[in-house]
Amino acid sequence: MTSMTHDELRELTGGYALGVLSDEERRALEAHLSTCRECTLEVRELARVAAGLAHAVPQVDPPAALRGRVLNAVRDEPARPAHSPKPAQAVRAAAPIATWLAVAASIAALALGLYTLTLRQRIETLQAQLRDVNARFERELQIARASADRANHVSVILAAADVRRIDLAGQAAAPQAAGRAYWSPSRGLIFTATNLPALAPGKQYQLWVIPPGKNPVSAGMIDLETDGRAIVLVDPSTAAQVGTVAVSVEPAGGVQQPTGDIVLAGTP
Amino acid sequence: MAGAHTATYDADRATVDRMARGDTSALSDLYDRHARAIYSLAVRMLADAAEAEDVVQDVFTQAWRQATRYDAARAPVVAWLMIMTRARSLDRLRRRRSRIVATELDSSIPHPRDPEASQESLAITAEQADKLRGALGELSDVQRKAIELAYYEGLSQSDIAERLQQPLGTIKTRIRSGLLKLREALGGGAGPAVAR
Repeated sequence: MTSMTHDELRELTGGYALGVLSDEERRALEAHLSTCRECTLEVRELARVAAGLAHAVPQVDPPAALRGRVLNAVRDEPARPAHSPKPAQAVRAAAPIATWLAVAASIAALALGLYTLTLRQRIETLQAQLRDVNARFERELQIARASADRANHVSVILAAADVRRIDLAGQAAAPQAAGRAYWSPSRGLIFTATNLPALAPGKQYQLWVIPPGKNPVSAGMIDLETDGRAIVLVDPSTAAQVGTVAVSVEPAGGVQQPTGDIVLAGTP
Repeated sequence: MAGAHTATYDADRATVDRMARGDTSALSDLYDRHARAIYSLAVRMLADAAEAEDVVQDVFTQAWRQATRYDAARAPVVAWLMIMTRARSLDRLRRRRSRIVATELDSSIPHPRDPEASQESLAITAEQADKLRGALGELSDVQRKAIELAYYEGLSQSDIAERLQQPLGTIKTRIRSGLLKLREALGGGAGPAVAR
């Protein structure tokens, strides 16, 4: 179809004149007409024949009443704007379209602006969510790392050649409590406890390492788990020398030297 | 005769100009000159008097509305009216058939950019219409039916091929050869195109 010959295209002139070609055929012939004078003349002549077909039918007089009906119907038509010369008419016809286009364009721009704004807000929300997720992920990663470090530290201490066990006994303030520590002078100390009583608000258990013949050294605050258990890891620098391991009740955040009741104490 | 014809076209143009200015009396002039031809074509196409009357009303309403847009360079007023008549009748036929016909109705107007196309080229006298009617009767059955189905019923070439149980290529050929024979029947006064 794309490359029809002159003869094939010429076969279409009749259908073209009668307006019954397919769109594809019509386009092909019109393209051909722009370069072929012979076919153009033929189309023009056959169009005249086609126009004649409108008159080549038996002529019948319309009913007399039709005239009044038609003229009245047209008079009832909505009034048209007064006549103006054709070019102006064309401009006038175009003007509403231009106006409409301008309005449509401004509506489109407005819609686009709103859409952009919505998108920007959405992006900001998503970015905030992403930051939250990243922060949470970072926190959890830190916790996981700390946990892994702890586990690693625990296993290193327990596997150390110089590890020693220290049992801590519940003192008068908490007779049910019990504790145990594994201490390696070279690797550090693991402290565990059970049955530590819950504390009043503002109070916290503090772990002490007391080198022989010296003042107690804070080995950290104890975060009590729900059932009264706890575990604390102590660096070897703090636990290089251990005469006694003890736990006291202190103001939250801890103190330099023990001030409160001793609840657990034990020696290697 | 040709002069009388030109006079009619000029009168028609003036009438449409008056319509464009909102002069309703112009419409009755146009009606008196062309209602019969419009009604006759609609009756032929629709075979229904009541519907043909509706077409006449549709055509004059459309002519009234579009008078400002009428382009004399494209077609004489009568051709413009007949094109509208055929289009409105085909609309009704299609509604009846509920069938889409791939037809570009305006393509029956000669190429608008064709500088040699003139009003005269679409000029058909009553005498020529008679000749055309006679010549239609002398065509072969397939030629005549194919042309009639195309023009009066707006069928596509493939629909015509199906209706007449002929190959599509044959239909295309017959439509063209039939129209060429009708052109001979129209004879002289065919306008500058034929003179060349």
